[in-house]
Amino acid sequence: MPDFGGSFGKVIVKAKLQKLIGLRAILPVATLRLLETDFSLRDSDQKIVVKGHLTQSMGGDQPTCYCTLRALRGYSKFHTRAAQILEPLIKAKIKDFGLKCLLEAQDLEVFKSKQGNSVLLLTVAMQAEPAVRSIALAMLDQAERHVRGVIADTDTEFLHQFRVNVRKLRSLISLLKKALPTTLIDTLKPKLSLIAGKTNKLRDLDVLILAHESYRTMLPANFESGLNKLYGLIEKQRKQEKNKVARYLSSKDYKATIASCAAEFSLNSVFETAMASKSIARVVKKLILKRYHKMLAMCQGISCQSPDQNIHALRIEFKKLRYLIEFFVDLLPKKRIVKIVGEIKKIQTILGDYNDYGVQIGILNGYVDDALVDMSNSLSGLIAILHQKKIEKRSKVESAIADFFTENMTNEFNLVFGIRKTKGLG
Amino acid sequence: MRVIASYSMKGGVGKTATSVNLAYWAAKSGSKTLLIDLDPQGASSYYFRVRPSTKKWAKRFFKAYENLVTHIKASDFENLDVIPAHLSFRNFDSLLAGFKKRKNRLRRVLKGFDKEYDLVILDCPPSISHLSESIFIASDVLLVPVIPTTLSERTFEQLMIFFKENDYPQNKIVPFFSMVQNQKSLHKETMRAMSARYKIFLKTTIPYSSDIEKMGIHKAPVDVFAKSKQANHAYRQLWEEVSKIE
Ligand SMILES: Nc1ncnc2c1ncn2[C@@H]1O[C@H](COP(=O)(O)OP(=O)(O)OP(=O)(O)O)[C@@H](O)[C@H]1O
Ligand SMILES: [Mg+2]
Repeated sequence: MPDFGGSFGKVIVKAKLQKLIGLRAILPVATLRLLETDFSLRDSDQKIVVKGHLTQSMGGDQPTCYCTLRALRGYSKFHTRAAQILEPLIKAKIKDFGLKCLLEAQDLEVFKSKQGNSVLLLTVAMQAEPAVRSIALAMLDQAERHVRGVIADTDTEFLHQFRVNVRKLRSLISLLKKALPTTLIDTLKPKLSLIAGKTNKLRDLDVLILAHESYRTMLPANFESGLNKLYGLIEKQRKQEKNKVARYLSSKDYKATIASCAAEFSLNSVFETAMASKSIARVVKKLILKRYHKMLAMCQGISCQSPDQNIHALRIEFKKLRYLIEFFVDLLPKKRIVKIVGEIKKIQTILGDYNDYGVQIGILNGYVDDALVDMSNSLSGLIAILHQKKIEKRSKVESAIADFFTENMTNEFNLVFGIRKTKGLG
Repeated sequence: MRVIASYSMKGGVGKTATSVNLAYWAAKSGSKTLLIDLDPQGASSYYFRVRPSTKKWAKRFFKAYENLVTHIKASDFENLDVIPAHLSFRNFDSLLAGFKKRKNRLRRVLKGFDKEYDLVILDCPPSISHLSESIFIASDVLLVPVIPTTLSERTFEQLMIFFKENDYPQNKIVPFFSMVQNQKSLHKETMRAMSARYKIFLKTTIPYSSDIEKMGIHKAPVDVFAKSKQANHAYRQLWEEVSKIE
């Protein structure tokens, strides 16, 4: 069973951390053994005039001693004096002493990897093909970082983030396919779609398991045994599916695929297409603007009678639009982009929620089995409730669309992403 | 910020013992607390081992809050600071006599502490004077220790009358029985009678106890050296009750 939320000795700590980390599990990165002692210095009246704290860190070959002195109001002279006396005994003064500084003194991997992370620097003048290649490599690397957690089944977020990064990578090469050589597209596209496909089922099962508690509260108590039966089944399937995915991600096959993708992206640019050598900023702005206008046209056709496919299609377009902006965010005017992305996120949440109901209904439908009556009853109950919720969300979808595609927004897109015409001839 | 004065015009009734232990429990329960020792004898400063400054500064006391701030000393306990008394405080009354709007003086200087402290406790000298009147105005609660004897009953009655005649709000007065000896029938009888008559006495009573006397030897609040004793519980309970006064 994976850890859906992390385990930690103390209940209170756990509850507090859980709020901060959501679905992520807590992983140990370091062990510190500390010996802490409070002490105080007194004057001849036995009045405390300086308070102090001693921390001994037992990590490493020999303990390091940290001494903190605190001045007391009205007794600062004593503090100054005490500091003077200690001065010859100390190796170094530390500003902002605390757990962070103690951890940093331990030479931990966590702190190193951050610095080692090569920063991707895009510039406006960069040509499209090399820019796309370097982003693709970074994304592949991002996806790869989650593989260990998926195999160890540390928490469900590892798989989710792995999939997000693979999806982004696939979007990137499809959105900018005209900047890349066709052979590259033709070889990599099926490979990446294969990788993504291998994890679909496991993600579906994770979604169901994460929804367990909310499903339980939706149904009356007499549906509980049916629901338990369903979850017994789901958990069994998840175990199998997880092993399958872990086997795949550990396989030579997978490693070779990733290596070949990385090798392909690492090749020097060949500038086979016209777009390949254009400025990446210009290319991206044009793509964004074009996509926006395409979406604008799409949404005109959406009414309360439109089928779900139309909404689904619009949702996908929003995803691509957001990716395009976020991949190249360094090249775009920050303030205006933050605002636009904020609006995009808002509508994406609503479209996403609406879609989620459909997806859940679809998955649950697959479990209906006439031989298992009480389980199927619970499923029907859930499906009915989710369907109802979905219907209720529908009007929100329409108003979100109306709220997003305003004249102002169109002006804003034209302004931010429009390529200024060079003056002179006109 | 609340201002609580430990006040009685009678001497030796337990004002200082109350200030010290109440300040201690208030701080311990998390209130940022300042104890101001207004009694030139400096007893509560002594219990916290805080020495007064060497300079006479009574003259500047009522001028501005900034003058008081420089005399704040940290006690040994977290959240608890003390302004120790100075012998020159014995002149407070004649000083105040020379001021216009003298009754509001104390209130005005204390206002400055509003940002930093949740609670100011005033340990008052035994008298009824200009200083006392500015204390009546400055404080939200006038905590009055009453030893349950006939003489104390008379003194308390005088205080109530003084408040009435001078239009001070009587509801600031919060009396409680101090140095109670339950084996004495006079104490029991007086407590019964006064509680019935005034109906404003706190439920908590402070027993007569050698542990409280020992504060002088230990120079510390009772909790530090007599944690599990009845007197200690009494002060803790007193703080709990006082902290709930609206
Ligand atoms: N509940 C008590 N039981 C026994 N002794 C007490 C009690 N309360 C106070 N005392 C002792 O009685 C004496 C006077 O107490 P305290 O100083 O608190 O009174 P006070 O009202 O502040 O006096 P003053 O008017 O001189 O300021 C002190 O020696 C103190 O230790
Ligand atoms: Mg006193």
